[in-house]
Amino acid sequence: MQQHPLVAILTRLGTFVLVMIALSVMIFVLARVVPGDPARMALGPAATQEQVDALRLQMGLDQPLAVQYLDYVGKALHGDLGMSLVSQRPVTADLKQTAPATVELVLVSVIFMFLVAIPVGVITAHYRDRALDHIGRILSLTGVTIPSFLFAITLQLLAARGLPGWPIIGRIDHSLGWPGGPTGFLILDGLLAGRFDVALNALQHLALPAFALSMAGIGQITRITRSSMIENQRKDHVLTLQSFGVPERVIIFRYLLKLSSIAPLTIMGLEFASLIGNAFVIEMVFAWGGFASYGLQAILQKDLNAVTAVVLVAGLFFIVANLIVDVLISIIDPRLRRKEAR
Amino acid sequence: MAEPLLRVENLNVTFTAYGRTRQVLRDVSFTVAAGERVALIGETGSGKSVTAKAIIGTLPKNGRITSGSIAIGGRDVLTMARGEREALKGTAFSLIMQDPLSSFNPVFKIGTHLDDVMRFADRRDGKVSSKADRNARIAAVLRRVQLADTERVMNAYPSELSGGMRQRVLIGLALLHQPRLLIADEPGTALDVTTQDEILNLINHLVAEEDMALLMITHNLGVVRKVADRVVVMHHGDIVETGPCTDILHRPSEEYTRSLLDAVPPLYGPRVTDLPQSGEPPIVRIERLNKIYGRRNGYHAVRDVTLALKAGEIFGLAGESGSGKTSVARMIMGLSRPTSGKLAIDAPDPGRGKRLTQIVYQNPGTSLNPKRTVKQTLTLPLKSIGMDAARRDARMRELLELVRLPQSYLAKYPHELSGGQKQRVAIARALAAEPKILILDEPTAALDVSVQKTVIELLMQLREELGLTYLMISHDLSLMRNFCSRIAIMLRGEIVEEGPTPEVFAGPRHPYTRALIAAIPVVTDEEERLKPTVTDEERMRFLVKTTD
Repeated sequence: MQQHPLVAILTRLGTFVLVMIALSVMIFVLARVVPGDPARMALGPAATQEQVDALRLQMGLDQPLAVQYLDYVGKALHGDLGMSLVSQRPVTADLKQTAPATVELVLVSVIFMFLVAIPVGVITAHYRDRALDHIGRILSLTGVTIPSFLFAITLQLLAARGLPGWPIIGRIDHSLGWPGGPTGFLILDGLLAGRFDVALNALQHLALPAFALSMAGIGQITRITRSSMIENQRKDHVLTLQSFGVPERVIIFRYLLKLSSIAPLTIMGLEFASLIGNAFVIEMVFAWGGFASYGLQAILQKDLNAVTAVVLVAGLFFIVANLIVDVLISIIDPRLRRKEAR
Repeated sequence: MAEPLLRVENLNVTFTAYGRTRQVLRDVSFTVAAGERVALIGETGSGKSVTAKAIIGTLPKNGRITSGSIAIGGRDVLTMARGEREALKGTAFSLIMQDPLSSFNPVFKIGTHLDDVMRFADRRDGKVSSKADRNARIAAVLRRVQLADTERVMNAYPSELSGGMRQRVLIGLALLHQPRLLIADEPGTALDVTTQDEILNLINHLVAEEDMALLMITHNLGVVRKVADRVVVMHHGDIVETGPCTDILHRPSEEYTRSLLDAVPPLYGPRVTDLPQSGEPPIVRIERLNKIYGRRNGYHAVRDVTLALKAGEIFGLAGESGSGKTSVARMIMGLSRPTSGKLAIDAPDPGRGKRLTQIVYQNPGTSLNPKRTVKQTLTLPLKSIGMDAARRDARMRELLELVRLPQSYLAKYPHELSGGQKQRVAIARALAAEPKILILDEPTAALDVSVQKTVIELLMQLREELGLTYLMISHDLSLMRNFCSRIAIMLRGEIVEEGPTPEVFAGPRHPYTRALIAAIPVVTDEEERLKPTVTDEERMRFLVKTTD
């Protein structure tokens, strides 16, 4: 029985909405039950109790939780995520400014992961149990076990010593006088505006943090790719192609690689969660100014609207990334497109 | 005498694993003349598949040809340059693989496989071909294996075709470049018997029409009779006997060949065993049982099945894959709930934790946990009925005695046991908590015929000793003919025929039963004559189409 692709996509979107609702309820309640009065924290110790009470009333904190939640959702659907108590600006404005930096960092890390992990996985599988495979194994384990902030600091030190002039903090040289572009992704905006110096400079800034962020994922995905390749190498269909004289390189790079990319892709989707988590640390080390740093500030100062918004955006990013992974996998594997009749 | 097409001479092959070298072929010599059909037969580990791999050049990395020669058309392939040998693939000889599903990469279309094989073979010949030209040639080959809608087949993914169609495509793949020798490794073994029959007919037809030679590798002696002129019998890496097909099957000169033939359950004739009918009251009663999988537009797996299993009998439930026989068994086991209908087991409650029914699965290689010793495997069911350690040990000794295994086997892991021994452990596990009814799900399908014979004998003795009732599920009708007292044939979820086994085989009433019996490959001409006949019209009505 063939499932209509539209039905499949609608089902996915349905779950997507459910997950977002569950996530928003959870973060909304959690942010409000942890100790500390947000109004008091926003106004500081010098404010009088009357001022604090007035702010609480203004924020609607005297209402029951359910009412507060519905009120929040109603506004959120109109694009209003409330005011940030700390920056005294709408949260959406803060996000617009900070989110692209983080998304750019994470996406470039993902590209790094694929560029490094898939070839290394294929090579180590091919030279199984030989020297190259052992080296690959040691490197993967190193990547997985060493925390990303340690990588970050080490990379910074190495660059500062070995590559004088290589940027080790921030997103771009302010001397370039870049006013900002439509997407907020510096590399993309630079290319769109024809300012290749901006794109190149942004890429140089990105290289170290993105590399530090992707190390753990590279280690994992290399291993998954390797074991998936090895498992599929033993299958009969490889023998069939061999016995009809199809060259080894075609069997590996065409037939095996496509079949063996399903497992690493699945892991990739899950990897987004740790990428976003690790971004909080990496952004601090590299003074990145993304929404992870923003979220960290918000949590420390109990900026309710900002915390909720950051978590929701991170969740949205994770879900969308996994949605894309699901679609990619179902493009690769025809068996997933068919709903089993049993 | 002219030089034969294939000459294998004094071939010796060794395998090295974990630092130990084992000789798997010893001085194997045989020939295949142009246009001749030769069968290479033997049981697991006889070296028949290794011989084929050595000829094709796909021995695993730890396998090595230590001496001997393989000549095709008078030229030794072992001394050839690598490129020259590659060029022989598909043109001098072609391979038809055993399992049509796993022989295709599931994420590529059928057409992609065919096109790549043809493209690289063309390139080796120094030809450059266009996609359209290759497509036309592929379509022509697919029509030769009786696949008419070539467009659909080529655009389909492997999982979208039936097993029979995939096997046809595999044969087509082998034919792409007019090979002179076709090597077939157990073709159709993974398919239903009626489909297998069609595939063998197709191979015979093609070999005759294209004047190819055939080297058929099989363990099934019935298949041998159908497709071979000459037979080579292998055992433990040696060639035991070689001769014309009729001589080997009717007048074997070697003891080993005779024992192999004796182990094949006969379908008709004097060697057939008739089991007595049970006069006991029914122990399992099923009335109008239905099973539908899935909620909306569900799959109707079992339709209005009504059955009664008499105490002490061996009831056979026969049918091809997807006929619903396993669904019925699972419901009797209580592993799945019927959608509608009545199911009653007429026996006193056996008490805490014990079950009235137990099951022995098809493949003991996968039904036993490889990380647990025999003792650990047997402990679980005994613990679940609340036995203490001392009584468990006593019971385990008893169980091993029942299945005729030495006590020392308690400490062994499954990989240290042979297939037959593993199945004995599985039987011991099923018997551990003293069930009344044993469900046998193709209990010998994964075993060699000689091992099958001993396991069947054991099951017969156990039934006698312990007063068990068996429900056997199988598609192997020749085995069921000799092992079951009553039999029911299932087709698409329904029982189409039921009765005492001798009666069903003597006069099958339903055309599907006749088609099923007629498709079984048998060993002697006499059995072939006694098979029921089916008209083409009946065949069309009841068999799954493997063409399109």
